[in-house]
Amino acid sequence: MPKPAPRANRGRKLAALKKESEAALRDQIRRLRDRPMAERTHFLRVRLPGGGSAL
Amino acid sequence: MNAAPLLRRIAGALIDCRLEAVLIGNAAAALHGAPVTTLDFDFLFRTTPTNMRKLKAFADRLQATILRPYYPASSLFRVVDEGGLQVDFMTTIHGVRSFAALRARAQRLELDGAELLVASLDDIIRSKRAAGRPRDKAVLPILEATRAEARAPRKSRP
Repeated sequence: MPKPAPRANRGRKLAALKKESEAALRDQIRRLRDRPMAERTHFLRVRLPGGGSAL
Repeated sequence: MNAAPLLRRIAGALIDCRLEAVLIGNAAAALHGAPVTTLDFDFLFRTTPTNMRKLKAFADRLQATILRPYYPASSLFRVVDEGGLQVDFMTTIHGVRSFAALRARAQRLELDGAELLVASLDDIIRSKRAAGRPRDKAVLPILEATRAEARAPRKSRP
């Protein structure tokens, strides 16, 4: 039976995931901010019949 | 959905009716580059008798109706039409002391000749932090990351 991975590994993995997710957010913001303000307009969700919403 | 056509209609109607209002909330944050979405447009304005007449004219111009939602929201006027447009006008928001101060710090957005006042990201963050609702708290890290990017020196990207 394989030995379970040490707990420290899990912490490192979570920290790496967090870092990656923060980098992805920064990149998304940079891409949006590269456009002029008048073009940052794809933010409106519409209500769907029966509940919920979609972009 | 692209909000540009609706924003142009709103900005045009505000100018035609000479109603002074500042765009706040997630729509304003998105215009600053924050990756957030919203179902409606929120504005701060001053409730004077003249402005109330102008608000009525604004709703007429958009062929919309003014509603007063029955829940404890302070002085909210909701302009809705049958096509799903929802524009909320508020007279006070958390964390912002005066309309004049908000307007002074606002950024002007040009939309095909119509100009719209967009609240500064600092004011949007301040109001969301002061409101403290779970949905406001949820977007705060995104807005703060956007502000950090806005303040960071621009580097050439590959």
